[in-house]
Amino acid sequence: MAGRALAGVRVVEMGQLIAIPFATKLMADMGAEVIRIESCARMDGYRMAGFYKQDASGDYWNRAVNFHEQNRGKRSVTLDLTKSDGLETLLDLIAVSDVFAENFTPRVIRNFGLDYEDLRKVKPDIVMVSSTGYGHSGPWSGFGAIGYGTEAASGLASVTGYADGPPAIPELPYADYTAGEHTVFAIMAALMRRAVTGRGQLIDVSQTQTLTATAPDALMDYAFNGRVGAPSGNRHRVWAPQGTYRCAGEDRWISLTVRSDDEWAALCETLDRREWIGDPRFEDGLARLGSHDRLDEMISEATRAWDAGKLQAALQAVGVAAGAALDGKGLLFDEHLNERGFFEVVEHAEGSGVPPLPYASRPWKFGATPGRIDHAAPSLGEHNEDALGGLLGFSTERVREMEEAGVIGTAPAGGLPRVESNDTLMAQGRIVRWEDDFEEQTRARFGGG
Amino acid sequence: MSGALDGIEVLDLTHHVAGPYCTKLLADFGARVTKVERPGSGDPARRMGPFAGDDPHSEKSLPFLYLNTNKRSATLDFKTDTGRALLKRMAAGADLVVENFRPRSLPAARLSYSELSAVNPSVVMVSISNFGQTGPYRDFEATDIVEYALSGIQYIFGDNDREPLKHGFDQAQYKAGTDAAAAALIALYHRAMTGEGQWVDVSIQECIATGLRDTTSAFTYTGAVKWRRPNETGDLPRSPVATKDGYIVPIAFGGAGWNETVEFLGSDALRDERFSTAEGRMENAAEVDRILRETFAQYEKSDLFHRANRVRGLIYGLVQDSAELYENPQYEHRGYFVEVDHPIAGKGRYPGAPFGMSDTGWSVRSHAPLLGQHNVEVYVEEMGLSMDELRRLTAAGVV
Repeated sequence: MAGRALAGVRVVEMGQLIAIPFATKLMADMGAEVIRIESCARMDGYRMAGFYKQDASGDYWNRAVNFHEQNRGKRSVTLDLTKSDGLETLLDLIAVSDVFAENFTPRVIRNFGLDYEDLRKVKPDIVMVSSTGYGHSGPWSGFGAIGYGTEAASGLASVTGYADGPPAIPELPYADYTAGEHTVFAIMAALMRRAVTGRGQLIDVSQTQTLTATAPDALMDYAFNGRVGAPSGNRHRVWAPQGTYRCAGEDRWISLTVRSDDEWAALCETLDRREWIGDPRFEDGLARLGSHDRLDEMISEATRAWDAGKLQAALQAVGVAAGAALDGKGLLFDEHLNERGFFEVVEHAEGSGVPPLPYASRPWKFGATPGRIDHAAPSLGEHNEDALGGLLGFSTERVREMEEAGVIGTAPAGGLPRVESNDTLMAQGRIVRWEDDFEEQTRARFGGG
Repeated sequence: MSGALDGIEVLDLTHHVAGPYCTKLLADFGARVTKVERPGSGDPARRMGPFAGDDPHSEKSLPFLYLNTNKRSATLDFKTDTGRALLKRMAAGADLVVENFRPRSLPAARLSYSELSAVNPSVVMVSISNFGQTGPYRDFEATDIVEYALSGIQYIFGDNDREPLKHGFDQAQYKAGTDAAAAALIALYHRAMTGEGQWVDVSIQECIATGLRDTTSAFTYTGAVKWRRPNETGDLPRSPVATKDGYIVPIAFGGAGWNETVEFLGSDALRDERFSTAEGRMENAAEVDRILRETFAQYEKSDLFHRANRVRGLIYGLVQDSAELYENPQYEHRGYFVEVDHPIAGKGRYPGAPFGMSDTGWSVRSHAPLLGQHNVEVYVEEMGLSMDELRRLTAAGVV
């Protein structure tokens, strides 16, 4: 079997939601050992909602979709950090680890006594990464944040949205992923450095800063030209037309960009609108940019009868950049992604009631040390005995005492599951449809179960 | 202060946005990055607007200036025999090669991973492409919006009674650049431990599709297909709403709910019995939404932002435009924007470090290079060509 790129790297993660868990799950896929520290009293919100088949009975906290997505391949140790035994055990774990990763507000970490200086006392070369909405210093450092808020603050939202509308953000905490991607880079940079100098360090990730770093155009335009940008829908600043146009069927769309006069002619021919080719209103990019409103109407009228997938194939065949706007199911069954093995089937614990399911894998494919999802996300406290006994050498008796004292556990001590039925989500317009036979369809494509 | 990646040699064969953001991250944290550009025209990003002073000059492209800090520029036509030989010599001394050509381009130029690893067996090569190096979409044409469509994010972006949206500018490319930089370091770490190099295939489509919360999983878990934002839900929208002077994203979180929101907004109209349950708010969604809109419109956004963040469970986001970000006290405190002087484009304050490191620095040691600025340094001083040879290659259009 091929080696693992991050074999031998141990990460203790005190993460929640996405920003840190997403980063460490990618590291787990690449071979790092990631130990999640969880609290039975205050579980990760992602254990509390989105259950398989919307079943909130029994140990629902081990069947939650977002928890499974963000924490596959990790181990779970529950520790009550308000008890000294819990906190000391965490420091014991950190003392035998390479990285400590967390995304709480600075106040929470400080109150537990888990600042970088505290950790250095038990592990002098520890790499600590702290991911917060706005960073560890400054007047906003005490503010909590989730991805929707940091995206707003980053500047990106101010140049995103329909041309005549308010700023817009997508229906997911996008900025958390951007922060997570930068966090993997940051941790690896610190580990590379440590390999040379023997020194660890503190990484201070401001989730807002990471997103601003990837949206510099409007900022640079302001810095040099004094111009403040505004949303411009789906349009490109130079290439025209560019847009998303309605196709045949229910809520089907195609996105396309015309980058040259040749591509424009190819689009017109494919849409059977040859008469547009000689039209002076559309003769070059500048003219098309000036006639964009009119063009959008004309193109929409022409795409309306096309199947989005067929139009995508027809346009790609003549060199026009075009793609159907895939919905979640379309993405899951996309032939290209599946040919590349992008979704990996993960088996869930026996008795969990969750069959083997496909999950999105990673943004990269390594030739010599391919990543893989080792196992499903852990059940709450699944590795208490393993980690405390095996790794720290605690006796069975001591582990049992910790359990009796409520320092560790395997069931929540508070909180209630949140269930939103597909009926409710439909009524609210948050989902476009649902399909009763999803299990059969998933099994037919991905096997298992 | 030294950089975390000091001593790492990067041969940068990238252009446009995705590849250059990858190598910018590496360069800004200390790696030595040598950017190979086509003689004459250079990186096509040099022709991407906006431009400094709105002057479409190849040394004044603002995206290019941002994306290429701390890099050296050497021009080379590696499709010629001489150029290919020079490139292989450069690759022989590199720890990492990064490229974002179409999958067919480098093999056609006889500079594939197998050809480069023949001269440098432990080299790490990262290839970024629209849809990856394999599969039926491998040779598809793509732009940022096409990546948005085919990666599933566009379908859940925008209003559900309008066309799907995308982010402004080039998010798909930047995301891929970030992932590629992370992948490069994972591969280099493995090499540092074992001596083994490898080829890494980064697909822009997969970079986005990796970061979509419960989008394919909504289907595998419950059969549901997620949609764009509904107009009226009778609940707080997790999207920008208008205040008196701009936009705020109102979020009630971690157990905080409707009552906290009503209390915070101090609105009697929202205290209506009919709105006290989620079901009631949904039944009266149009009215609830109207009252919420009217209520938010009475406040200033900064006032709401700062007050909400003192209430447990309310974490509001403040929509800021470019002008506001340059004045933002948090960014000011953290020294986020950094002034960079460029001999042709002039001085400007660029967005700075995405994150801080306590023991090693982030810095702009040099501005984005002029086209071919480091030809003498690279070809004569480092590779040992004579000035005559360099002149000859320049005249022949190889350099």
